[in-house]
Amino acid sequence: MTVALDSVRTELAALLGVAGVLTDRAACAAFAVDGIVPDFIATPSTAEHVASILAFANEHQLALIPCGSGTKLSTGNPPKRYDAALSLRKLNRLIHYEPADLTITVEAGMTFGEFQELVGRDGLWLPLDVRGGAQSSIGGIIAANAAGPLRQSFGGPRDMVLGLKIATTDGKIAKTGGRVVKNVAGYDLGKLLTGSFGTLGVIVEASLKLFTKPPARATYLIRAGTLEVARDLRGRIRCSPLDPLRLVVACSDAGVRLRDSAPDGGMSETDLWIEVSGSDRVTRRCEQELTNLSAAAGADLERVGKAEEVWDRIADPARWLQSKYPELSILKAALPPRASEEFLSRGRQQAESEQIGFAGFAQAGVGIVHACLLQQTLTPGTAGAVVKLRQAAEDLGGTLIIEHCPVALKSQIDVWGARGDDLDAMRKLKSAWDPLEILSPGRFVGGI
Amino acid sequence: MKSIGLSNELASVVGEDGVLWRAEDLMLYEYDALSSMRQPDVVVFPRNTEQVVKIAKAALRHNLPLIARGAGTGLSGGSVATEGGILLVFSRMKKILEIDLENQRARVQPGVVNLDLSVAVADDGYYYAPDPSSQKACTIGGNVAENSGGPHTLAYGVTTNHVLALEVVLPSGEVIHTGASHWDRPGYDLTGLFVGSEGTLGVVTEITVRLSRKPEAVKTILAIYNQTEDATRTVAAITARGITPAALEMMDGFCLRAVEEATHAGYPMDCAAVLLIEVEGLKESVEEHADEIEAVCRENHAREVRRAKSAEERDLLWKGRKTAFGALGRITPNYYVQDGVIPRTRLPEMLEFISTLEKKYDLHIGNIFHAGDGNLHPLILYDERNRGQTARVILAAKDIITRCVDMGGSITGEHGVGLEKSDLMPLIFSENDLDLMRRIKNLFNPDGRLNPGKLLPTGKMCGELRGGLLGGGTA
Ligand SMILES: Cc1cc2nc3c(=O)[nH]c(=O)nc-3n(C[C@H](O)[C@H](O)[C@H](O)COP(=O)(O)OP(=O)(O)OC[C@H]3O[C@@H](n4cnc5c(N)ncnc54)[C@H](O)[C@@H]3O)c2cc1C
Repeated sequence: MTVALDSVRTELAALLGVAGVLTDRAACAAFAVDGIVPDFIATPSTAEHVASILAFANEHQLALIPCGSGTKLSTGNPPKRYDAALSLRKLNRLIHYEPADLTITVEAGMTFGEFQELVGRDGLWLPLDVRGGAQSSIGGIIAANAAGPLRQSFGGPRDMVLGLKIATTDGKIAKTGGRVVKNVAGYDLGKLLTGSFGTLGVIVEASLKLFTKPPARATYLIRAGTLEVARDLRGRIRCSPLDPLRLVVACSDAGVRLRDSAPDGGMSETDLWIEVSGSDRVTRRCEQELTNLSAAAGADLERVGKAEEVWDRIADPARWLQSKYPELSILKAALPPRASEEFLSRGRQQAESEQIGFAGFAQAGVGIVHACLLQQTLTPGTAGAVVKLRQAAEDLGGTLIIEHCPVALKSQIDVWGARGDDLDAMRKLKSAWDPLEILSPGRFVGGI
Repeated sequence: MKSIGLSNELASVVGEDGVLWRAEDLMLYEYDALSSMRQPDVVVFPRNTEQVVKIAKAALRHNLPLIARGAGTGLSGGSVATEGGILLVFSRMKKILEIDLENQRARVQPGVVNLDLSVAVADDGYYYAPDPSSQKACTIGGNVAENSGGPHTLAYGVTTNHVLALEVVLPSGEVIHTGASHWDRPGYDLTGLFVGSEGTLGVVTEITVRLSRKPEAVKTILAIYNQTEDATRTVAAITARGITPAALEMMDGFCLRAVEEATHAGYPMDCAAVLLIEVEGLKESVEEHADEIEAVCRENHAREVRRAKSAEERDLLWKGRKTAFGALGRITPNYYVQDGVIPRTRLPEMLEFISTLEKKYDLHIGNIFHAGDGNLHPLILYDERNRGQTARVILAAKDIITRCVDMGGSITGEHGVGLEKSDLMPLIFSENDLDLMRRIKNLFNPDGRLNPGKLLPTGKMCGELRGGLLGGGTA
């Protein structure tokens, strides 16, 4: 830090109140990112305060990492500098809500759980099954463009953000987009902020499009047995008139359990998880179609009650696997959808040859695959395995990032991987909005 | 003459037959569907990205404006050469480069006409979802630039929700590739930035889009009302019921009569308004939703609710809707169409307001619009030869836009800011907001030569509509 901690504390405390600036080690340790503990935590309670903190940080060249609930901070390269955590947890107010219009505006620190509960009272939801679940903050979900298997039906945060209010490093507050569901006025800066992982500006408020929660849903499990059968079935389901809410191919050789409650909670070699929605009549029809498809493939179909637990685990493997595998790595491959099973197959082989336990979850409709390397302690071969898996993803026409891993692995391999000929444009964009690199420096693609 | 030397130079890039420079040829390119301004110095028709790069570099060398143009159906003056320069027209770059059904992707050149892509994959059961009413003419390049919507984007999302990757030529001549044919390529979402940037950040030379599967069943419902207010109330009621139809369009009686006379689609001639509603999906759910929608329409006093009995009947209803602007052209020398958006619950109030403006300014205003997402298209009829009337049209349009803003809405839902509304941007954006946008523009288009005078305020006519009625808006 280029400025004495004492004077930071005094200046910021004048702005935020004493409780708004914490410097004690224990509190700061809770905000460590990739093993780096910040010197202080600033917890503003208004958007204006966020802007003032940014102006202050810019003046003193203090590096900040904005955070909501910290559920996705494991994604990113280790920060080049990290002086302070900017906690948005107190920015959690409801600003505007019109259920009949299916639109809402909230502050960025509101937790996803609180949010869903609020709109759930009107039968609405934001159809995202994100890692971090209820704990995540709305701002964090947007900054990470976090989405799970529901994405094939509803899109991701990118498709749901109507407008954002952001604080910029020059200490100003600006907005982009608006509150209505259709709007093309001006550049769509919301797209730039969505998925920018806190490197361009700090999201302080978001207007979002809401959806009606399907009144009834049903989950099915098809024991496909092999990836070949899974691929075939997935293809047939995608080509059928069925339009499942979620469709996931799960495979593991490590006896990982997606269900604690079921007697046979272990995953088979390869399972297909499908969720459909609609009236009884509609789900009966879906069930019939799925039964026929699985019978033709020689696989069993099971209707699974209380499947929320399963879907939560698929959406957020780190959360339940971490305790058993503390040095777990989760890779996210983004692929042409057709390559999903092939990638799972290569992932499993690669892990096996390095004697690493493997669990994989393919959102086969959109081509997003989470490959989990299940390790109690990181082995020397892990980095090599990740490089090979990245190569496999690229050979299949996709890309691979490390979404979650032990810090030690990050010193051996860039978490984002391949860059394109637009990297220069991205760098210029960063310097246009954050010239002194005070926001999450070094954490993003290409050292941004 | 500057244009002759320049045309020779450009002809060496694209061939003699790829350049227009005679005044009589340029005349065809001095307007789009909004307005006419001035002629470009030269019009050039590239065949590939390489030629676009060379043309961009020529524009740079000569310090000339460079403006991309698709089919010229834009309604905000986006492809008009406000300061002359080189107009880059994509009608020779209209190849569908790749169709990958298994991954539901297509890669196209920017000049591909929107409907042609859907037609190309129709037999396999797929289509390209964004369907502007102009889809028989407008290009996917133009759609990307405007982030166009359409009747069916209510449920499926507008252009930006269907574009995965772009190839872009920057004004410097540099070529960049944004996004990927898969989702979530690491890095900033530059694709999302370029979509809707109205040709002011780069020239798009290739587009990768998602293809959608056709649903098993479709039901098209026509609800007929004697009171406009009942129709607008129905819109809010359907949304509140939690049904998202694939399309939910409204046409008022005035427009309907013009449409019916032009297309004989079977629309009633004597009603105040109709809603054209479509539901799609599994046949079981379509039936349920159609029943539910019908009930909502009746609760809101629909005089009659019809369902299209055949694909032909459905196509005819849609033909009527999609050619409506043209149909109005039969009854008025000119019209001016606005594109404001409001929260859908405010529709009844807004249409009431628009009807008071008709009286206040002694004008005819038709309403035909994407009701489901609150995207208005009031059509103000006029005759450009009548100066006084033309002036009143501008006042009425401004009143409508201002009311949209007051209701928490937007000045444009799909037609873009363009030339027309650039000086209205301050109505919804603060200096800070605009400053962030300027920083983006300065990055990609530092000397402002690419499509000058569009999207951002010019500062010349603060708070006023521009270009709109300078002898254009011809129906
Ligand atoms: C009868 C009628 C109905 C319409 N209905 C709808 C509707 O339902 N929904 C809707 O959204 N719009 C509608 N429009 C408006 C218009 O059709 C759309 O904006 C359309 O996308 C414009 O496409 P175009 O090819 O005609 O583009 P143009 O008008 O030629 O250009 C539009 C803009 O795109 C830019 N541009 C074009 N090509 C490129 C490129 N390759 N790279 C970069 N920039 C480029 C131009 O510079 C300009 O700024 C309608 C218009 C008419 C006349």
